[in-house]
Amino acid sequence: MSPTMQGAIVLVMTLLILLSGIPVAFGLGAISIIFLLVFQGLDGMRVVAETMWGGLDEFTLVAIPMFVMMGAAIGSSPAGKDLYEALDRWLYRLPGGLVISNLGACALFAALTGSSPACCAAIGKMGIPEMRKRGYPDEIATGSICAGGSLGILIPPSITFILYGIATETSIGRLFLAGVMPGLMLTGLFMLWTLFDMWRRGFRSHAPDFRYSWKEKFGSIPKIAPFLAIIVGVMWVLYGGVATPSEAAGVGAALCVALAVIIYRMWRAKDWWTILRETTRESVMILTIIAAATLFGYMLTSLYLTQTLAQAIADAHFNRWVLMGMINLFLLVCGFFIPPAAIILMTSPILFPIVTAAGFDPIWFGVILTINMEIGLIHPPVGLNIYIVSSIAPDVPLMKIIWGTIPYVLCMFLAIVILCFFPEIATWLPNHMMGVKN
Amino acid sequence: MPAHKPLKLLNAFFRAVDLLSRLSGVVAAGLIALGVLVICDMVIERYLLNRTTIWQIDVVTYCIVSATFIGSAYVLKTRGHVNVDMLPLQLGLRARYWLAVSTMLLAIAFCVVLLALCTAYWHQAWAGNWRSDTVWRARLWIPLGAMPIGLGLLVLQYIVEFISLLTGHARPFGIGEERTHS
Repeated sequence: MSPTMQGAIVLVMTLLILLSGIPVAFGLGAISIIFLLVFQGLDGMRVVAETMWGGLDEFTLVAIPMFVMMGAAIGSSPAGKDLYEALDRWLYRLPGGLVISNLGACALFAALTGSSPACCAAIGKMGIPEMRKRGYPDEIATGSICAGGSLGILIPPSITFILYGIATETSIGRLFLAGVMPGLMLTGLFMLWTLFDMWRRGFRSHAPDFRYSWKEKFGSIPKIAPFLAIIVGVMWVLYGGVATPSEAAGVGAALCVALAVIIYRMWRAKDWWTILRETTRESVMILTIIAAATLFGYMLTSLYLTQTLAQAIADAHFNRWVLMGMINLFLLVCGFFIPPAAIILMTSPILFPIVTAAGFDPIWFGVILTINMEIGLIHPPVGLNIYIVSSIAPDVPLMKIIWGTIPYVLCMFLAIVILCFFPEIATWLPNHMMGVKN
Repeated sequence: MPAHKPLKLLNAFFRAVDLLSRLSGVVAAGLIALGVLVICDMVIERYLLNRTTIWQIDVVTYCIVSATFIGSAYVLKTRGHVNVDMLPLQLGLRARYWLAVSTMLLAIAFCVVLLALCTAYWHQAWAGNWRSDTVWRARLWIPLGAMPIGLGLLVLQYIVEFISLLTGHARPFGIGEERTHS
């Protein structure tokens, strides 16, 4: 059988099995074993255990549970509420100030955690009821949190970047830095749209004569100062050449737990177990997918499927931007059905050689890939953030939430287009701080 | 009553597996917490005390890998393994049930095959007294032991899930079902 035919069979079977509702990790593992067995016989089984172990036996991966723990510690404390209250006191005079505060709180929270669901849940639990209480339309209250939450995987630290970095052997430090400016740009685009939309509707969150005093404004700063200190601390440790991402994440996790214990008095065993339980559930889920995806990647390579596809695309001589458009479309469609971690681990080894051969910067592509994953997070039918927000506001119809996310999805498309025209937005900071990579 | 004996045995099996899976969650959480502490120790020793670190990187990595395999049963029990439930949601109850039965059988088959392969791999490491190629020269059969143990627990938890599905105690794909995470 020709590799092209094998590739088509693997692709169709993979989609069918993943869509059947089997846990993604076990589905990927099962497909890999089936195809290794079919095409290589029992010989193919020799390396299965070693490959899965090898996929996880990597110090860089330690950063994942550590960053998840940072998010779990902050997420299970009232930190989201404090962040958002502080921002509201400073931004309340803008039209739609509360939505802007929520988006800002999401961006700050994203800088503390690497995960979108954590970001969405932490800010949404406080922000959505408050926005609805003050009369904001339901679709804006819910849509903005879905979109703001998705910043979690773009603004560093980001688990998506760690996965991409590992799958493609790209520097995670560079990827983190590359996410900063696009993350801020996307936050800015979200805010601009909201300002425009609120101004268009003539909406104000407070009465015209309402004022927060300077005392109230400055009184909110000590509440958010420790978070800012941790963000700065982790970034300094990462980029001051002091420590590796795993070390920075480990220390960050310990500091976040300490912060939750000291500031929010979360010293009961139950509170500790909540943090550890959430960390364990999310980390084990991601790491199991990584182990299975390593086996899947091994199966694709040993059957020469990756190489065949890359060669076929190289032979087709597409214009590089047509190619990039097709890749974006492919990622978007994948994002409709499959969770981000699985997409990155499954597709990066295939796309990476194609993208670099076409002359694109791998760091820049990491950012583009991540924004695509963000779109998948707030897009039906799988859009995880939609369901998290729906569980926070169960009385808002799902369709209303989905409509609320559409303008923000368009903002993300716009961000991809801007990044295609000005790749320096992503590459300038890593090149400036870590030197140009040859 | 003799007729109730198999039922009692089944209940005892369910309770035992439930306890084991909860325990697996506690052990995995403990391993991750230990990983955090060891990283902090490593940072202090390396950057504050200027000492060389020998065992820390190995220990942290093994803690996290072991937590992944050992905690998998707990994550399955609490429905933490992410899946794509778009198709099951579109199906009628009967078709959804049969799809759940088929996917669970496939997942169990995968886990059993992997358990056999990992046990063989662990046995090779133990019989050959494999050591890590790091400075610490760790005995690899110890961390590798997490693979057969974790996968064994996972298979047991999957069998419980499967029987629960067949006997109507669990809904297909857990759709419409609340689960506590304790």
